[in-house]
Amino acid sequence: MDDVGVVASEFATVRVSLDTQGNSPRLRLEDLRSGAVRFLDALELESIVWAPEGFLRELLDPSRHRWRDDGSEGCGP
Amino acid sequence: MSTAELTGDLRSRVRPDRVHGSLYTDPDVYARELERIWYSTWVYVGHTSEVPQPNDYVRKHIGPQQVVLTRDRTGAIHVLHNRCSHRGNLVCDADRGNSSSFRCPYHGWTFANTGELLGFPFNQGYGGAQAKERLSGLGAAPRVESYRGFVFASLAAEGPTLREHLGAAAERIDQLCRLSPEGEVELTAGWVRHEVTANWKMLVENETDGYHPQFVHSSIFSISGSGIGALYSDKSTAVTRALGGGHSENDLSPEFRRLGVPMGWSGTPESKIPDYAAAMRATYGAETGDEIMINGSPHVMIFPNLFIAEIQLFVIQPVAVDRTVQHVTAIQFAGAPDLNRRLVTQCVGSVGPAGMLLADDAEMYERNQRGVAQRQPEWLDLSRGLARERTDEHGFTVGTATDETSMRAMWAHYLTLMDPA
Repeated sequence: MDDVGVVASEFATVRVSLDTQGNSPRLRLEDLRSGAVRFLDALELESIVWAPEGFLRELLDPSRHRWRDDGSEGCGP
Repeated sequence: MSTAELTGDLRSRVRPDRVHGSLYTDPDVYARELERIWYSTWVYVGHTSEVPQPNDYVRKHIGPQQVVLTRDRTGAIHVLHNRCSHRGNLVCDADRGNSSSFRCPYHGWTFANTGELLGFPFNQGYGGAQAKERLSGLGAAPRVESYRGFVFASLAAEGPTLREHLGAAAERIDQLCRLSPEGEVELTAGWVRHEVTANWKMLVENETDGYHPQFVHSSIFSISGSGIGALYSDKSTAVTRALGGGHSENDLSPEFRRLGVPMGWSGTPESKIPDYAAAMRATYGAETGDEIMINGSPHVMIFPNLFIAEIQLFVIQPVAVDRTVQHVTAIQFAGAPDLNRRLVTQCVGSVGPAGMLLADDAEMYERNQRGVAQRQPEWLDLSRGLARERTDEHGFTVGTATDETSMRAMWAHYLTLMDPA
């Protein structure tokens, strides 16, 4: 696994690395404040690159990710 | 004291040749200054070079108000109040950063760097995501404008434009920017925060007081071998000029033109910065380039809080009637790396944490504040040079380099804001 670095601000701290254990490389994102991990493959990354601006804005709503109250499961430590 | 009582009383405390000591110590006066000056007129906030990239932000201030200067993803500049719309917590804590959104650490309310509310945790408690429509985002300064990269904000929705507010002081910003081969100033050298136990007006008055340098700053002038001190004398051709709007300057350029030495004003001989001198002549032509380098950098106080002192820039921040913070940085010029390195070194010596110039002034501010708390005599004298003031060819009131012309003009403008006739 190649460590790319830590992307940090006063609001969040995420370790970014390149994971090569699968059959093709993928990005490994680790929320260092909680330990939660998400992998993003090439197609998912390309989709983010091309996503409309509103997509990320919507995702930044805390009720859409870690603090949703519909009981659905998501990434976690 | 009630508003009505203060209104009548203020005009009696500001006379053409003196001001009453209570203007520096009275909490009622300070409270009115916040409303009538700091939260009404244009106040300097920051520089676009401090937020060069999309989503950059820096924490700044408008008097005691904490604000965040942001550049959104489209490049637009915003000045936001640093206060969560939920429970009032400070949203941003870092001095600077890069983030498209800000998340309050108290309950997680999240805002775009335009101030828009993006969401909050567990939104069912508010009836779902649509509650964003009725809840507030971050407060924003109703008016934000910039001039040559200098960003000002007004917390009043209406009033004079920034250009009207700056008036002739805008030309001094032009003068500063012309000293860059690329025509731009960059405030990228970092900041020193220097707090003094003194009223903010002590600082404003001092910035263009040419009477004190030979006394207060004699040690740094002698150690550094600077000839600047001698320019603040009645024999000098330099002048103190009231620029209107409470702005003022010490114009030393007549002396620099008389000497005719490129960069003579700066304390850095041209031989030490050959790349800069060559770039200036390449940009402006040999003759104009030399004129700009001879003429020098402005020494201008832009009311109420921006002081450009040749090689350094001060931002004045009142935090209480008797406490003021000066934020200081070395001015950097785009396209001038060799000059910029020397300017940082010079500023460390003059206004750095152990700098001599700022320490000299700070000592006087604090002694002055303690002094005006004494009972007698009640008034501070402002009469120096009153009888020899004249109007220059541009219609500005000028005095000699040591006259108190700038203070008198500042107080006259102060009254127009604090107690409009």
